[in-house]
Amino acid sequence: MNENRPLRQSPIYTPDVIEEIQEKAALGRYRIRGFGTLRSKPLPSLDDLTFLPATLTRIPLEGYREKCETKTVLGTRVAGQPLELDIPIMITGMSFGALSLNAKIALAKGAAAAGTSTTSGDGGMLPEERQYSKKMVVEVLPSRYGANVHHMRQADAIELTIGQGAKPGTGGLLLGSKISSEIAAIRDLPPGVDQRSPARHPDFLGPDDMIIKIEELREATDWKVPIFVKMGATRVFDDVKLAAKCGADVVVVDGMEGGTAASPEILQDHTGIPTLAAIPEARRALEDLGLYGKVQLIAAGGIRSGVDVAKAMALGADACYIGTAALIALNCNRPLFVDDYARLGTRPGACHHCHTGRCPVGITTQDPQLMARLPVDEAAQRVSNFLIAMALEVQMIARSCGKSNVHDLDPDDLRALTMEAAAITRIPLVGTNWVPGQP
Amino acid sequence: MDRVHRIDCAGRTVREINIEIRSELARGSSVAVANSGARHNLGVALLTSGRVTFDGSVGYYGAGMSDGATIVIHGSAGWGVAEGMLSGSVSVEGNAGNGAAASIRGGTVVVKGDCGARAGISMKGGLLLIGGDAGYMASFMMQKGVVVILGNAGDALADSMYEGVVYVGGEIASLGNDAVVSDASPDDMNTLSGLIRQHGLKQPRRLRKVVSGRKLWNFDHAELETWRAAL
Repeated sequence: MNENRPLRQSPIYTPDVIEEIQEKAALGRYRIRGFGTLRSKPLPSLDDLTFLPATLTRIPLEGYREKCETKTVLGTRVAGQPLELDIPIMITGMSFGALSLNAKIALAKGAAAAGTSTTSGDGGMLPEERQYSKKMVVEVLPSRYGANVHHMRQADAIELTIGQGAKPGTGGLLLGSKISSEIAAIRDLPPGVDQRSPARHPDFLGPDDMIIKIEELREATDWKVPIFVKMGATRVFDDVKLAAKCGADVVVVDGMEGGTAASPEILQDHTGIPTLAAIPEARRALEDLGLYGKVQLIAAGGIRSGVDVAKAMALGADACYIGTAALIALNCNRPLFVDDYARLGTRPGACHHCHTGRCPVGITTQDPQLMARLPVDEAAQRVSNFLIAMALEVQMIARSCGKSNVHDLDPDDLRALTMEAAAITRIPLVGTNWVPGQP
Repeated sequence: MDRVHRIDCAGRTVREINIEIRSELARGSSVAVANSGARHNLGVALLTSGRVTFDGSVGYYGAGMSDGATIVIHGSAGWGVAEGMLSGSVSVEGNAGNGAAASIRGGTVVVKGDCGARAGISMKGGLLLIGGDAGYMASFMMQKGVVVILGNAGDALADSMYEGVVYVGGEIASLGNDAVVSDASPDDMNTLSGLIRQHGLKQPRRLRKVVSGRKLWNFDHAELETWRAAL
């Protein structure tokens, strides 16, 4: 036997797969974890697109100085008071419960300083978050945890949440370690339960009922504020058409890269479609109804930078939500308290342990001692800086493409770097005018 | 003597009707709404005390999201009657559609007739009293509060509840996941008798009590270290 022969390893039963099978065999249940997809096989993404800035065919604007509008108005269709933001980047819904009080307040203060909005989450509106948010979106979720008409009437927009990108078709999850007595009281749950939120709303099922539900939300808020409908990206073309027909002012599509504080791993990795695919489908749906530009589109799921935002906007989004990226700006995965990462069996840069409630940097925890590791004002400053930096990036791209308003970015400013992305987005492959499937 | 303000729904939008109900309640009047015509979203978000009567049926989400008002529907109600209520009371003289008292956090909902499916779903407090029968999945995922069904309960009663308590006077077609049934105690019977009498409903011969077996409250994990390591 040749001892120098390399050991062969199955491409099917990789060490990861073996570990997972043996873990299920030991525990008798599926894996649950936080953060978002950790798939080793890359998803088609916004990275598969590139911009075509101005050269001789069009004139660029001075990248660092010329005026380039970022003001964003959402909900122009029906609402008496559309949501006006200084930048097209908003903080998505993340619950008080999944996040600590300090994290929620820091997001509110940071977003307010950057002239944009925050969103409540699957745990009701936190009064402090409303206090520190300049603009606030209040979600109406299937669980209705902490649902309160008085909070809705303080909202700048209502988001009727059907599902989320990390786990479409499934309700929220918050393990018992994070259901403190305070969180339990707000959600009317027994402390310490492993909370698995409902997947369906209690009082409507399909789109026919949702038309009436949306009207009810408008009656409750005096037809003033926009009604968003948020969905995990699955059958986006049909879903967006239905949401728009049901009367949504704004549709949110949340791609499979979307984060979560806790979810069965298989849902994060194997359900939904990528944000890259969701946006063009959503745009086609609105165009098909003649509502593109009238019903606004928010893209979410794996948005990490101003470049991602610019690409999403060029594909057809009016604004983007960020969640995980905002938490990373707060301090998520920063190399502080490294021993505590090690105690969770991980390290900075690889931590996805939001579900444990033992967040070493005080963001996804209800432990007062851990939470104290996130000083609110410093964290808020980082969130604000990050949002402003992202907006500057969007402006830089827009100016280089000759646009004096970031909302003027369009698909012709983009080319696909891969055949896959060209097929998905119907944007020509670089160096060609070719879109797969078209003559 | 209360001043009663009368509103005729005929030819008016729901928006106009709701604005008028709210402004009259704010002035301290009682409101009597005629020709409600089973329209949807009537009496939504009434946030002051005062009495409102609907002389006829209401559609979906009648008296939804109210806080403090006393609302009487002299007819039947569609889906989600009183959904999301915080306090006050809603009384339906006839029957109610699916999701009656869905996710209420306080107050009292009385349906003198029958309820459709999912009555008392996701309730977070308060009381739902049903004079007749309840359809399938009543009290699904109910978190807190009390549901009393004087007639029969349909399939999958009290599925996946937390701390909700359900009483049934008639037959239970089937229990939902993790629902546990026992006879109501004499104390429970006394308390409920008063309540049933107060609403002019027929006393049942006996009541059975359904609560959560608490087996679904937590994942069945052997010990926390294993749990934490399973990533």
